[in-house]
Amino acid sequence: MKGMWIKLKKRLKLERRFVLTGRDAVKISIFSIIATFVIFSILLILEGVNPLEAYKEIFSFAFDPKFGLGLTIRRGMLLLFATLAFILPLRAGIWNIGTEGQFYLGTVGAFGVAYALSGLPSGALIPLMLIASALCGAGFGAILGYLKGKLNVNEIVLAIMLNNIAYWLIHFLIVGGPWMGTAESVSKPLPVSARAPMIWEVPFTIFLVLAISVLLYFLLTKFKIGYQIRTLGRNPAAAKYAGMSPLKISLFVMTVGGAIAGLAAYHLWAGDPGFYMIPKPQSYQQQGQFMYYGVICGLICVLNPLAAIPTAIFISGMTVGSGTALISRLGLGFGIDFALLGILFLTFVAFQFFHQYRIVRAKKTRTG
Amino acid sequence: MSGPVQKIRDFVSRKHKGKRERARENLLARVKRGETVLEAKGITKRFPAVVANDHIDFNIKAGEIHAVLGENGAGKTTLMNIFYGLLKPDEGEIYVRGKRVDFKSPLDAIELGIGMVHQHRKLVPAHTVLENIILGHPETKRIIDVKKAEAEVKKLCEKYGFKLDLNARVWQLSAAEKQMVEIVKALYRGAKLLILDEPTSVLTPIETEKLMMSLKAMAKDELALIPFITHKLPIVLKVSDRVTVLRRGKVVARLRTKDATMRGLARSMVGRDVAFKVKKVKAKKGRQIIEVKDLSALSDKGVLALRGVSFSVCEGEIFGIAGIAGNGQHELAETLMGLRKAERGKVTFEGKDITNSSILERWKMGIAYIPPERIEVGTVGDFSLVDNVALNYYFEPEFSRRGILDYKKIRERAGKAISEFDVVCPNVDCEAKNLSGGNLQKLILARIIPRRPRLLIANLPTHGLDVGATEFVCDRLMELKKDMRGIVFISEDLDEIMAMSDRIAPIYEGKFVDIVPAEKAKKESIGAMMAGVHLKR
Repeated sequence: MKGMWIKLKKRLKLERRFVLTGRDAVKISIFSIIATFVIFSILLILEGVNPLEAYKEIFSFAFDPKFGLGLTIRRGMLLLFATLAFILPLRAGIWNIGTEGQFYLGTVGAFGVAYALSGLPSGALIPLMLIASALCGAGFGAILGYLKGKLNVNEIVLAIMLNNIAYWLIHFLIVGGPWMGTAESVSKPLPVSARAPMIWEVPFTIFLVLAISVLLYFLLTKFKIGYQIRTLGRNPAAAKYAGMSPLKISLFVMTVGGAIAGLAAYHLWAGDPGFYMIPKPQSYQQQGQFMYYGVICGLICVLNPLAAIPTAIFISGMTVGSGTALISRLGLGFGIDFALLGILFLTFVAFQFFHQYRIVRAKKTRTG
Repeated sequence: MSGPVQKIRDFVSRKHKGKRERARENLLARVKRGETVLEAKGITKRFPAVVANDHIDFNIKAGEIHAVLGENGAGKTTLMNIFYGLLKPDEGEIYVRGKRVDFKSPLDAIELGIGMVHQHRKLVPAHTVLENIILGHPETKRIIDVKKAEAEVKKLCEKYGFKLDLNARVWQLSAAEKQMVEIVKALYRGAKLLILDEPTSVLTPIETEKLMMSLKAMAKDELALIPFITHKLPIVLKVSDRVTVLRRGKVVARLRTKDATMRGLARSMVGRDVAFKVKKVKAKKGRQIIEVKDLSALSDKGVLALRGVSFSVCEGEIFGIAGIAGNGQHELAETLMGLRKAERGKVTFEGKDITNSSILERWKMGIAYIPPERIEVGTVGDFSLVDNVALNYYFEPEFSRRGILDYKKIRERAGKAISEFDVVCPNVDCEAKNLSGGNLQKLILARIIPRRPRLLIANLPTHGLDVGATEFVCDRLMELKKDMRGIVFISEDLDEIMAMSDRIAPIYEGKFVDIVPAEKAKKESIGAMMAGVHLKR
């Protein structure tokens, strides 16, 4: 065994990558998924479950149209909103941890319009709700963008505080507030005309978010503003030297990012439950916190808006499949689904190493 | 008894033994003068797309200064990193005092008595000089005997003529002092073979002189020294005992300094004859382009660094600003480009007041700036060369339509720039961080000069470049002058300033001491003015 290792070490060596092609990046991601499953198998075996069977259960639930596929895609698209809202600012070097708050503000916008104009037909109400949620999210994001660009405040600390404000704003409106529904922690239901038209089990906003993905991709690679965003993200001093305005760029990315996060609110509430549920404040599953998955998803897809689509669907499938298949069907302990996600995220991050280096076969080189 | 427990015990005891043994292993502790300290045979190191070292043989004796010369990217730094254990050679052997060694990490090299002073300093800015020097020393355990260490370090400093305030914080020091700290640190760790990467590149002429005196004193003490130098050949001729010249990874010359001439060394470095004199072209003085009145600006630390400077530059003129680093010339350049706010004063460009114009507006007007910080400001390391070239073109209407960049045109421009300015790179898609410093500078020039700026502010454009590249840069600037462009040329190199400029303004503590026409300028008087002495005739 040891001899083999030494032999292998002699044969293979690490080499710095000079260019990372798209194909390589995809390969690395696939390898990391395989590695995740291998590592998680250990846990499953310790729990006394046949890993192959467990994986079959996860996938067959999450990607079977009869069972979880609808939820997988629906949640995947929500995740995609969250991811895109995170990716764009980070390309300019700004960590948008405020997607949660922007999502809440988007909720306020969408619900506010729906309650106020409940008499309008769908054709008018839905676009108005979309615009309202995008505007509210954008405005909330713009606060961050302005303060970051003008005063260079720490956007992460500021975002966390703003998230809190946004959460308690919702709380104020619903729990005992003007929007309270039949139960204390549930909002009034949205009018029927505000409900998102569904295509099979998926709200029509899927087209919206996919279009945003493609648009962002071209914005970043082909457009002047995209070039400015990338420059600011990679080297702020060079951006300033080349005459770019950090304030304008941060304002732009945070406004657009906030708008995307705001739109996620319409996608979730008008698509699925049709009313807002406040879970207990200390509960870990505050709806908006799902937006944080966008951070991880964005990092995994290396901030590429197109790669974000399959990544989001895959991660969503894992959350849907592992919860149901492992806990309900196989009767494993609660939390095992989060263990799978945790391992998945960590492995993805660890495999980023291969974006810098690759393993090559050592060449026997002759002298001369 | 076998099994895992025993194995672990074996491993632990071996490690301990190894450590104790290694501590005594400073092979170079008692070398005699003239003894061969380090010998390398057939060192070869390959990187993707380039052979950095190609069968290099090298040796150095105790008490000798053995200069290694070469252009930017000739493979000097790679070779040194191999000697210091940072890189492993693909082929070749290294002997220390005749004993074959195989460095796994710099720690092995340090323990044998090899020290290194890096081009990019690696110190803790918030710590004092003394703390930095004793950091990582094997004798500093949990309890530090500061008094003893201080006495020892002081003795070292006195012996070799380093003037250092041991209690100053490192961030307060000048570049030269930081370098001294690095040298003393290596010596204090017991280095007997000291590798210096570009020791003179950040130093002013006076500091260079002092450093050379110290190096000579060290060589007298049986220390072996390897300075790596790309430019400033006179220094090499002055202090070194032997010279090895590298070109494209190969040794092209190996000789005693006695037998070397400046012209000969330059020829072997570059591979062709180098004219040390820039041909000053004559250009008719045209209209006045820029007028600066009583300009003042703050430094990064909030001190008034530029204190009321007035001058003007005409078409077809090179206005030279000579000064030792930190006398306000950097702030002047940045204020002219809009990177820094003017505290007071007025800048007029072609009749327009631009004192408060944005950087972008200045680029568009035809003002261009070559920053001295190539990696930090001038380029984006993670970007391809194409994207780097775009830094100076993205805002031009010619290169974008309705907000979409015309990458075909930018790519063309990048390709042209790289071939015209001879930037060494695999292709235009490689990332800028893979380029050496000299190549980066060429890249910056390659994208700025084709813009044909009305006014070029060149801040240390030849800093750290080899003789060939320096000549190239100076020729390009002369071409611009001939093309009736105005140039503000900032340099610390007196000879260069004298050779290039039409008028020379020595700057001292934020003020011009005088503005002297080149015909009337004398090297001695300009040099004295740079030091703040104004000799009125």
